[in-house]
Amino acid sequence: MTVHLRIWRQAGPDSPGRLAEYTVEDVNEHMSFLELLDVLNEKLITEGEEPIEFDNDCREGICGSCGLMVGGVAHGPQPRTAICQLHMRHFNDGDTIVVEPWRATAFPIIKDLVVDRSAFDRIMAAGGYVSVKTGGAPDANALPVTKEDADLAMDYASCIGCGACVAACPNSSASLFTASKIAHLAMLPQGTPERRRRVLNMVDQMEAEGFGDCSNHAECEAVCPKGISISAIALMRREYVRAVLSS
Amino acid sequence: MEIAEPHVTERPERSRLKARVPAGRLQDKWDVYKNNAKLVNPANKRKHTIIIVGTGLAGASAAATLGGLGYNIKSLCIQDSARRAHSIAAQGGINAAKNYPNDGDTIWRLFYDTIKGGDYRSREGNVYRLAQISNNIIDQAVAQGVPFAREYGGLLDNRSFGGAQVSRTFYARGQTGQQLLLGAYQAMSHQIQEGRVEMLPRREMLELVVIDGRARGIVTRNLVTGELERHVGDAVLLCTGGYGNAYYLSTNAQNSNVTAAWRCHKRGAFFANPCFTQIHPTCIPVSGDYQSKLTLMSESLRNDGRVWVPKDTNDARPPSQIPEGERDYYLERRYPSFGNLVPRDVASRAAKAVTDEGLGVGETNLAVYLDFRDAIERLGRQAIEDRYGNLFEMYERITGDTPYEVPMRIFPAVHYTMGGLWVDYELMTTVPGLFVLGEANFSDHGANRLGASALMQGLADGYFVIPYTLGGYIAGAELGDVTIGHSTFADTERAAGERLRRLLDVKGGKTVAEFHRELGQIMWDHVGMSRNRDGLLQAAEAIRRLRDEYWQNVNVAGRNDTLNKNLEFAGRVGDFLELGEMMALDALHREESCGGHFREEHKTAEGEALRDDDDFAYVAAWEHTGDHARPQLHREDLEFEYVRPSTRSYK
Amino acid sequence: MSQTGKKLLAVFRSSIGRKLLTGVTGLALVVFLLEHLYSNLLYFSTDPDAYNENAHFLISLDLVYVLELGLLTFFVVHIIVGVSIYLRKRKARPDGYAKYQSAGKPSRQSLSSRTMIVTGLVLLAFLVIHIISFKYGPGIEEGFVVTIDGEPVRDLKRLLEEKFQHPAYAFGYPFVMILLGFHLRHGIWSAFQSLGAMNPRLTPVVYTLGGVLAVLIAVGFLVLPLWIFFST
Repeated sequence: MTVHLRIWRQAGPDSPGRLAEYTVEDVNEHMSFLELLDVLNEKLITEGEEPIEFDNDCREGICGSCGLMVGGVAHGPQPRTAICQLHMRHFNDGDTIVVEPWRATAFPIIKDLVVDRSAFDRIMAAGGYVSVKTGGAPDANALPVTKEDADLAMDYASCIGCGACVAACPNSSASLFTASKIAHLAMLPQGTPERRRRVLNMVDQMEAEGFGDCSNHAECEAVCPKGISISAIALMRREYVRAVLSS
Repeated sequence: MEIAEPHVTERPERSRLKARVPAGRLQDKWDVYKNNAKLVNPANKRKHTIIIVGTGLAGASAAATLGGLGYNIKSLCIQDSARRAHSIAAQGGINAAKNYPNDGDTIWRLFYDTIKGGDYRSREGNVYRLAQISNNIIDQAVAQGVPFAREYGGLLDNRSFGGAQVSRTFYARGQTGQQLLLGAYQAMSHQIQEGRVEMLPRREMLELVVIDGRARGIVTRNLVTGELERHVGDAVLLCTGGYGNAYYLSTNAQNSNVTAAWRCHKRGAFFANPCFTQIHPTCIPVSGDYQSKLTLMSESLRNDGRVWVPKDTNDARPPSQIPEGERDYYLERRYPSFGNLVPRDVASRAAKAVTDEGLGVGETNLAVYLDFRDAIERLGRQAIEDRYGNLFEMYERITGDTPYEVPMRIFPAVHYTMGGLWVDYELMTTVPGLFVLGEANFSDHGANRLGASALMQGLADGYFVIPYTLGGYIAGAELGDVTIGHSTFADTERAAGERLRRLLDVKGGKTVAEFHRELGQIMWDHVGMSRNRDGLLQAAEAIRRLRDEYWQNVNVAGRNDTLNKNLEFAGRVGDFLELGEMMALDALHREESCGGHFREEHKTAEGEALRDDDDFAYVAAWEHTGDHARPQLHREDLEFEYVRPSTRSYK
Repeated sequence: MSQTGKKLLAVFRSSIGRKLLTGVTGLALVVFLLEHLYSNLLYFSTDPDAYNENAHFLISLDLVYVLELGLLTFFVVHIIVGVSIYLRKRKARPDGYAKYQSAGKPSRQSLSSRTMIVTGLVLLAFLVIHIISFKYGPGIEEGFVVTIDGEPVRDLKRLLEEKFQHPAYAFGYPFVMILLGFHLRHGIWSAFQSLGAMNPRLTPVVYTLGGVLAVLIAVGFLVLPLWIFFST
């Protein structure tokens, strides 16, 4: 099949950008969307043009490197799928697809479709961990955790840090990202001693990075490749109130 | 580079390579080492800068641990965030000898399984240490909040994995690597917050800086600005993963590469057993030329899935219509005691054997079935969904088929490289001060790695081995004052810059990806699951020609002073083109079959791998002797004091 | 400032605090709306004096000023925080997407959720007019008087009937009530989520109930003016 692409091109952080138009023919339906971009890039290189830059790495939906607005939706039209695992069989011959980078003040564009998501790392560094030095940990079975809690913790912990939640949020809020780590650790006894510091510090950092507030649109849950529930955000709010009231 | 062909298989001189494994009983060696290791005064640790390249399980755990000890850590990675290193993609689990299920596991048994699984091509001392440490890793991960699967009683659950008859694998759904990596990343983030670790993402290591015979720094390219940067330290820890992408298609991430390791090799670090590549049996088959990677389906699927092909080569019926009697469950038939749970190398070769006979299935006939029908009948769909739901989802997303109804089609793919930079018991290379951790080193898996052992090794190296061995080095070495102003830094940086300029200046007619695909095809055809002398000679020759063409005819787009992934890849493919030849050379010299290295000339009457312990029970460590010179082979003889190498049998 | 005061201030400077505040004030305002709706619906009571009796009862409460002050505070806080959330949103993404659409379920993004600031500001303008028209509108002095329990009180019922003779009032009011319905459609469930009261099982229930309540409130308010306009 043939698809028409309108792709955001931007030479650098301060350069103006624009949507450039490309057409790719002989697209195989088993191709992933990123492989489609590979094919286009090979063509551009051969024609002496600069290829389109986009972050990607594992291409199996777990590293969180890739992230594009495809057709106006973060990671494209298929639910619970990172863009690297979206296959062309979900598009039709002759489709025109708009491809844009994540847009948020806290995610400045580096080049073309590549953005700087280091704000997420700083939120994590503000408290997204259990402060335990190597060695001296008690036996792994010393502390039982109910299966239900462990499963729920795993649901929240499955966040891949891709930033789709921010990209899709009408407010550019990072609440789902931040809340999923807070919720993961709040579900486990290991996370309990630091739960107050953690939620206060991470929420402060989220604020400082310039993300918007959460208005409960729940768009984040709909685009999350791991389908993390916004109940994480509700839980973060409870943690926050509890931390403030008891500190 | 000329290979004087007859000399390749010539017996090399007896090696000067010493692994420096401590004396004493196997069970005591690590304790003996720790008892005698020199220590660095706590107040002095912060005066030592340690450069850690890579933030996968090995790199992140090392940075977190060494930062926690008080060292001044500089951590670098090529991804935009440390959390994205390819360890994250490991699905199945991590082994430990906890024996929680009470099914007979012991440290000895984990050690024995690992050394046997590696086909007796690894060091006893290292492997035993790994098995000893395995339990601490689980404790550490749980303390960090890693959400391992649990039973209703609240305690940790285990599952079985290929190559073992006990259940010793801890797992977090099909995302164990992700959870362990995030645990290490979070621990490292804590140290970043404490100011002990400086994290520099989007940096690619292009050179190692060796001053007065010691590793004292690296040169990196800032992948956003293109600037070359100098980093000075008292030791360099390379945690840069494996080189499976030499085959172009592999289960590795797009950015996985050998460049950092290869640059170190060219600066004096020996490269050990480069031909030992693991071809993983359960991957989604190739579907077209555009394909950029192969997706692994966790080996844990073989716990409940049965592998089969039709008995008749012309059977074109859909799988559900092929009656039981006309199916060949070839693994269960050939290996009745291990059945579908034979080690990876054995399962992969068996798949190749049946497809070579024309029994393969799917559009390309390069696939076999992995069928869950019986397991669903026995356990119910819900139980299977609980165990493998996310893997089935992933399979369906990629292929459009649902494994609950249609058997999966799977085929082997390059997955892991057991070879890597040679290191001694302390994880130090032949360049003093250069340590290598995780998949980037060669140390613990011999000729074949067992499932759920890579995570174990990466974390063992980073959390529990390097803190002791690095301290020993730092305390014992006389490290002069070196700054980035040193002339060697300038020279090394110039060399790195010139190579980039050369790549951009060729402006030839073929893209980097075209060269990479060609290299991959040569490697897969001749240095893949099954190898022979003629094929390897041909491969070495073809790679050499391809490499010459590369530097005359590659077309690298864009500029050096900006984000330019094509340029990054061009450098990496250039290195794969050198490594590939050495892999062929190593495979050629090893006139035996062992683990993942299967030489068609050396097999039993039944077609199983035939080892030659008399002549090849050694680690082949290759020394770089110049860009156009044949690498020099060094041997580290493997001495087996505690296990007697036997023919691996999974029948 | 007291320790508690500092704490509270810190809460309301954070993004979570802002949402908490919006939620709490929003829910309080919904309670007020329900009370107001009840008062309105008394118009349809078989007892012709019920409407005015109730109104009189309310304004004669001892604590009426406290209640009014509280209500005013809730409104002001709700508005200030709502506007600040909107301004932060603008700042968080100054350049929008060329193409953007919702991914669909389980997203709760809707016309209602996207227009909270617009419906909110229209409601604010309405509120001002509403208060001028009724609270500070003509009273006993202007002849709008009725006797309840032998006491002359303001005849709000008549005022209502006269106001809604004007098409501008009769149709403007219902229009704004529809916007109120939109505001509540997202607002009610969102308040519970902001207070951290939601979990995956509760969310669909509360979201649905919130929608039903929004429709009931809007319809409840808009029947009165239309009834008056068309029945007299």
